[in-house]
Amino acid sequence: MKKRVTLTFPKRTIQMPIAYRLAKDFNVATNIIRAQVAPNQVGKLVVELLGDIDELDAALDWMRSQDINVSLASQEITINEDTCVDCGLCTGVCPTQALTLDPKTFQLQFTRSRCVVCEQCIPTCPVQAISTNF
Amino acid sequence: MTLERTIAEINEKIQQQKAVVWTVGELKARVADVGITQAAQEVDVITTGSFEPVESTGAMINLGHTDPPIKVRQCWLDGVPAYAGLGAVDIYLGATATAQVEHSKHSETHLPGDLEREIRGNSSIPDRGGGHVIADLIAGQGIRLQATGYATDCYPRTSLEATISRDTINQFYLFNPRTLYQNFIVGVNGGEQLLYTYLGPLQPRLGNAVYSNAGAFSPLLNDPDLEVVGIGTKVFLGGGIGYMSWEGTQHFPRQKRLKNRTPIGPAATVALIGDAKQMSPDWVRGCYFKNYGPSMMLGIGVPFPVLNERVVANCAIADQDIVAPVMDFSIPRRVRPTFGLVTYAQLKSGQIEIEGKKVRTAPLASLYRSAQVAQTLKNWIKAGQFTLTEPVAPIPGDRDFLAQDRWGSKIDLG
Repeated sequence: MKKRVTLTFPKRTIQMPIAYRLAKDFNVATNIIRAQVAPNQVGKLVVELLGDIDELDAALDWMRSQDINVSLASQEITINEDTCVDCGLCTGVCPTQALTLDPKTFQLQFTRSRCVVCEQCIPTCPVQAISTNF
Repeated sequence: MTLERTIAEINEKIQQQKAVVWTVGELKARVADVGITQAAQEVDVITTGSFEPVESTGAMINLGHTDPPIKVRQCWLDGVPAYAGLGAVDIYLGATATAQVEHSKHSETHLPGDLEREIRGNSSIPDRGGGHVIADLIAGQGIRLQATGYATDCYPRTSLEATISRDTINQFYLFNPRTLYQNFIVGVNGGEQLLYTYLGPLQPRLGNAVYSNAGAFSPLLNDPDLEVVGIGTKVFLGGGIGYMSWEGTQHFPRQKRLKNRTPIGPAATVALIGDAKQMSPDWVRGCYFKNYGPSMMLGIGVPFPVLNERVVANCAIADQDIVAPVMDFSIPRRVRPTFGLVTYAQLKSGQIEIEGKKVRTAPLASLYRSAQVAQTLKNWIKAGQFTLTEPVAPIPGDRDFLAQDRWGSKIDLG
């Protein structure tokens, strides 16, 4: 199964080769969606973990035991449909084509599963219709 | 037999609710099926629409006199300055007006692009401006008014604070010196740093391309030589009724044109005027471009009476027959280098090719809402609520594009 989680690394754990450990010890594949890592700072990773359900749970428990904060509620982009004017400006900066225009009606379409929450669409929107849920 | 109709005949049909009205999209589809001659026989009116940012827009407002009266010399609406160099309580609020921008004390030091912006923060540009205030007034909201003046025998009062709404002011009409741009440019960034422009963020190394015209659905590209519209043409403006009142600023009908008479870059513009008290927040929206400034998005619809086959032939134009120049915004000069011309069919496909590189395109005009404007105007005409007007004078066709320097003249598209 697949699980999207947000991992927050305290300074102490920033040196840990996390993807390697997850693969080697738990047979879990790590797809990094978003990363914010710098030496000697709190790091943040949004990852999609793919593996057997028991091994996934074991991997999450192990990370928690390493003081890595595991959050299952991942950040999401929300579009206020009352404010959006379907101009489509956001579609040009979206790197994963989660935001597209319907080729016939030119209405904005948001495919949540493709979104990596890079947030580039937020400042691009001229009517401030896009935000994150936290 | 050649088809000839008059506006009077068409209006008679509209009043009897018998007029055949198509949106320009429906017209193009019908022409593809039955040809121009047949389509022209069938339809009386073609409607077009646009919904896009229009910077050269603003509202004329007469505040009404106070007791004792004041001659307003400086005026702010929700902190946004309005021009008051008119009659005592007449003001003009421009869509791009902002509260005072605070300049950073570091502004003399030079820092490279993004870093400079991060530290200095063009973010001191307020994200709320005149366009937002106008849209709020149209939506029926109360707006804080602050005004000052000097005392005279006629107007002894020197300051005023009040809350106004669209129902407590006398005249409230939009006057838009430049709208309905007949074609525009495509913006890209060939440089190394992210740019914030009036077309939104342009990503470095040709990261994205932004176009801001609806191409074959854009009103004035369906009447390339402005033969049908003119001064006095009645239009849909912000959900109310407006009129073409003059040529627009930067009106440049002498732009180079293709054989089909559509211009290869920015060309004709028109000035519009219309009662803002009739308008609706659906079609008038404040907007803001990050690190560039606020503006306003406005829905405008233009009807074309089918006076003859030529009107239909002009409206049958397709996206692959209209081009726009791709301009590099990384050179901050009046004449920017161009990467050549692309068609609107390419732009709307979501991808163009520049120097062998595939570049994502995105529109800035809302093509969806533009179509809705055309549809709304069609419904009004069909219901007999909107009749057409005869222009009282043509929009001039002989304007040059003068620049404020000694050596340049026209936009050079290379």
